[in-house]
Amino acid sequence: MQYRKDRLNRHRIARYQAWEAQLTDYLFKKGYQERGFGSIAWPDRWLFRDFLARYLSTIAGQESELLRELYLSTGIHPSLPRRLRDRDPKVRAQAAKEIAVFRLDEPAEHAPPPVAERPWRWKPGIRMEGYIDHVLPLLDDPVPFVAHTAAQTLTHSRNLKFAAPVLAWVMREELYQRERLLRVLEGFGPSLLPWMKENLESPDQSPEPWILFALLAGSHRHRESLPRLIWLLDIPNVDLRASVLKALIILADPAVYSKVQGFAASPAWEIRAQVARALGVLGGPSAVPDLLPLMADPVYEVRRNAAQSLVDLGHSGVSALTWLADDLAADRFARDIARERLEWADERGHM
Amino acid sequence: MTRRWPIQTTVLVVEDDPATAKIIQVRLEMEGLKVLVAANGLEALEILQREKIDLISTDLMMPAMNGFRLVQEVRDLPPPKGRIPILLLSSNHSEQDMVRCLAAGADDYMAKPISVQVLVERLWRLYERSHRAG
Repeated sequence: MQYRKDRLNRHRIARYQAWEAQLTDYLFKKGYQERGFGSIAWPDRWLFRDFLARYLSTIAGQESELLRELYLSTGIHPSLPRRLRDRDPKVRAQAAKEIAVFRLDEPAEHAPPPVAERPWRWKPGIRMEGYIDHVLPLLDDPVPFVAHTAAQTLTHSRNLKFAAPVLAWVMREELYQRERLLRVLEGFGPSLLPWMKENLESPDQSPEPWILFALLAGSHRHRESLPRLIWLLDIPNVDLRASVLKALIILADPAVYSKVQGFAASPAWEIRAQVARALGVLGGPSAVPDLLPLMADPVYEVRRNAAQSLVDLGHSGVSALTWLADDLAADRFARDIARERLEWADERGHM
Repeated sequence: MTRRWPIQTTVLVVEDDPATAKIIQVRLEMEGLKVLVAANGLEALEILQREKIDLISTDLMMPAMNGFRLVQEVRDLPPPKGRIPILLLSSNHSEQDMVRCLAAGADDYMAKPISVQVLVERLWRLYERSHRAG
């Protein structure tokens, strides 16, 4: 067994070394026009696919087009629908990934070229469009990493016809997983946000997808979503409001300061904790009087965020914290957190 | 546009993936540049000690010493080595990382996947700018 693995590894290294030299000639010394890449032995086609995939994560532009052509010339892509249904989950995931890496999800490019322009490699009957649709059922795959790879491939296509199924897949995951899965949704790009505005159910009935909307608006810094975020603040759902406040912190528009300040007395500590961060970012030094009451909040996270906002404000905030730390008449919680944050800032040289 | 690199202009390519390093090396050599390759920041600093380098193109995530640390170490060197233009390449597209790279002292930043043509153009701009500034 080990002997066989070693032999395969040696073979892989030898092939890679030979192909690396051929590839640079092919890409940069006009090899693609004059000589082609050279033939790939039939059993080495899968190895060659992996070899090309390594480059496509780092190389873009004209070279990546040539790499993709090389992949297509191996003729392994027609087996994708079969591999997407394979019994082995690794094969299914690999096939889904292959569609994203080699961009076999762009129907416009894959339509048969006009007869006069057909390259010598083009074979009638082989149409590359439509592979991406075969990936869709994998969202229900019982193996989590296969479903995850399928979702990544679908978002990578940036085709919003897959937005609804991918969003439904995210919503089926546990709550704590959803923020992590935002990275997958980000693959659709900023055009997902207008789509969500148009297609999501009302936040009164179903607030959870709107939490993702708020977090995505923040991660894309999508200022066009600001009016919708302000509107969402009026929906009485704690998680939604906290997520909207997180997005507003990132967008940092001072015009929403008074609206945010209205939530400083919210009964939910999750909201007050976000308000404590937001006020400092949105209001600057003028937020100090509004942050001081939050320093005496009964919940530690709120006090810590308020104190951190004061540290981040620089001179005016640190002066307020120093005054509070020395004021024996001040709330004990407020004094303690002021001292703790001042020490924290001092240790890290922030003062 | 035509780029006229002076003879013996040397670029240090710091990249832990040999396949990517090779692609960049061949393309830069076609420009007439002398290219030295290091697999991580520590190797790059060793090469910097003994060679005259005009430009550095470095990956961000590398073992032993990453791109951030390398930029900081280079900027701590006395001039002229401390002023070598540095282009950082990263597969992480986050805005924070971009800001961190530039704040660390890198002159420019490119997110992977990169177009090799654009990389050459960016290096040329950095070279031109540094030589205009003297």
